Amino acid sequence: MHIHAYEKLWLALSIVLILALIGTVTYGAVGPGVAMVADSQSTIDPAALDEDERFSEPRVEQVGENEYEAYVVARQFGFQPDPIVVPANSTVTFYVTSADVIHGFEVVGTSANTMVVPGEVSEITVETDEPTEYGIVCNEYCGAGHHVMQGKLHVVSQSQFENRGGDSA
Amino acid sequence: MARSETARADTDDVGGDGEEFDPIGTLTLIGIYFVILVLAWVYIYFVEFLGRDLVVVG
Repeated sequence: MHIHAYEKLWLALSIVLILALIGTVTYGAVGPGVAMVADSQSTIDPAALDEDERFSEPRVEQVGENEYEAYVVARQFGFQPDPIVVPANSTVTFYVTSADVIHGFEVVGTSANTMVVPGEVSEITVETDEPTEYGIVCNEYCGAGHHVMQGKLHVVSQSQFENRGGDSA
Repeated sequence: MARSETARADTDDVGGDGEEFDPIGTLTLIGIYFVILVLAWVYIYFVEFLGRDLVVVG
């Protein structure tokens, strides 16, 4: 079979492109450690969040030397706690659940973004850098007040985090 | 036109690299598309995606 030289070139480039796409995604997973939001958490009763150990009192908790967990409840129409205050240069895992309908949890301008489904707990781990402030929006239509459903994520210095006192409680 | 662009098979085009029909313009165009595609992918993945804050790592 005769295949034109240009066609051979085109076929080779197509294969190179496919390998490059797979290669970059593999690099992302192995190098920077990009992960998907997994269905790793067990289900909970969305009507009984006030009896749940983690979500009865939405908060940020230190769980390791530089590791923190944020328990966040999304409900019509806001996020608790508000603002979510986390320390800079640390690893923060967000556990987000909904008390009513499906919401979204998107830290604006970042890759931290997940659906929030009642009965499910969405878990995302991120690494914070310098102190800054982010907005949080709900990106799943959740009712009449969807467009005003927003929160704040404050990344503060370690000392500020330790001295935050009652301002975020 | 200096030459016909009709592919003449078999007679004088068997096996060799001396192709009778060389659509160099099409090749160039596809090459440009290819470069745009690669640059766009590099930009989208490495700059826009990995360059954002709060990359999800778990």
